[in-house]
Amino acid sequence: MSELLTVAHLSKQFGTQPVLRDISFSLSPGEVLAVLGRSGCGKTTLLKILAGLEAPDAGTLLAQGQDLGPVPPNERQMVYLYQEPLLFPHLSVFENVAFGLRIRHVVKAEIDRQVHELLAELDLSAHARKAPDHLSGGQRQRVSFGRALIIRPRLLLLDEPFGNLDAQTRADMQQLFLRVSRQHQITSLFVTHDSREALTVGTRFGYLDQGQLTCFPSVTEFVQDARTAVRQELAFWESIQQTLPASASTS
Amino acid sequence: MLSKARPSRLPSPLLSLYGLLVVGLPLAGLAYALLGSVGLAGPLAAGFTGRYWQALGTDTGLLYAALFSGWVAVASVGISIALALLLVLRAQPTLRRWPLPGLLYVPLLLPALVVGFYLFQLLSRTGWLARLCFQLGLIQGPEGFPELVQDAAGLGIIGAQVLLTFPFFTLLFRAIYQESRLEEYRQLTLTLGASPGQFRRRVAGPLLLRRAAPTLLLSFMATLGAYDIPLLLGRPYPQMLSVYLATRLQRFDLRELPAAYLAGFLVALGLLGLVAVLLRLRRQTAVR
Repeated sequence: MSELLTVAHLSKQFGTQPVLRDISFSLSPGEVLAVLGRSGCGKTTLLKILAGLEAPDAGTLLAQGQDLGPVPPNERQMVYLYQEPLLFPHLSVFENVAFGLRIRHVVKAEIDRQVHELLAELDLSAHARKAPDHLSGGQRQRVSFGRALIIRPRLLLLDEPFGNLDAQTRADMQQLFLRVSRQHQITSLFVTHDSREALTVGTRFGYLDQGQLTCFPSVTEFVQDARTAVRQELAFWESIQQTLPASASTS
Repeated sequence: MLSKARPSRLPSPLLSLYGLLVVGLPLAGLAYALLGSVGLAGPLAAGFTGRYWQALGTDTGLLYAALFSGWVAVASVGISIALALLLVLRAQPTLRRWPLPGLLYVPLLLPALVVGFYLFQLLSRTGWLARLCFQLGLIQGPEGFPELVQDAAGLGIIGAQVLLTFPFFTLLFRAIYQESRLEEYRQLTLTLGASPGQFRRRVAGPLLLRRAAPTLLLSFMATLGAYDIPLLLGRPYPQMLSVYLATRLQRFDLRELPAAYLAGFLVALGLLGLVAVLLRLRRQTAVR
């Protein structure tokens, strides 16, 4: 079986309000499924169910053929990353990244080696001894990313992780995510409300609306679908370009 | 043109008066106690002398009072912290269930004197619990009942302090738990592979203690200087610092006053030193 994750007929409701309706999709190793969705569409609930933090009302979750239903969140190897980095304020950058190894009782020399290696990769070596509140927003997000990567998760669940960053830092983080996820062959489900971000980070695309997930077979179909509003955005930028003087648009 | 609204300021004479009351007078009191301890101030001051300081070497009363107070404060605050952490980290549903949230506020409304009196009636050898045990045939007389108040280890004082302090700590930890988004930290650490116990030990506990440290320190100092409860539930020996100092200051023999001033001066100095050291430690923790 080549699928890393198979989700079949997943449903969830809170009280009488359905949040997820009959969701089915699968993910192969190394894929990044970018799911576009507006606030309240059910994306956080979907991620929490995959992470084991919420129980579904119906449906099955299989990871490499194994039923995830009875597996507690701390044994799933699926890290859920919030919009906020949520770094441990009482630990240094080094210790934040080392957290996953410490709780697994990895030997000290191995922790030192792996953490230093990852900090260098994330361009954080100079900040290893710093407290989280001495870092910028982008640096904090990188530490959070490193803390998740160090345990080599089989699936990363990202809930609008760059939503609180300024435009430039956000673009940098998207590039960093692309680079690292390709290098480490990370499989992820990346939820965002920004179509540009979805197109930047995704290798596959989905659209979640009122609890229903549509997975697109190709990027072309994702762009063509009116609900994703990608074409509207393209039209907007084209109209802006047409209003600019020729010299400005060529420069 | 409209002028910008300026924040109202406390008039400077009022601010100076407040500063004088909270800093100036205590410092003046400290200086007076120091001068009194060397014979330069007080009703029977007769010029500089070092004999009260030299007598410290032979008088162990102050040392025992300080040790006893330290033990009571450490035990009371320690037990209160442990109980509060246990409730907040292991019994969140119970904490939300009626009537516990309301009951937690009750001890906060009780004056220390009332709690001391209530515990004396409940736990003394002639108290309600001892009488109940006697009626049930569990003891043959008052001597058979364990010494729970006015005991050598200060169990009665510790019990009363815990009764007053742990609900406050519980409410404090609960507020910090919510404000620091510890529920989200819990979910995150679970997905990172931590067990619920590891989350409590490595994340929630240190985070709660770190955020609450200044309040815990203040509570420790308050317990160290408690008066009402040790007076009611403590023994004449060993005494807690406040009772020891009050006893010495109230003696009829005015010649004993310099020694009492000396004790007061040393206690105040010790507390100030403790505050300085802990504030420094806290700053270091924040920077690390």
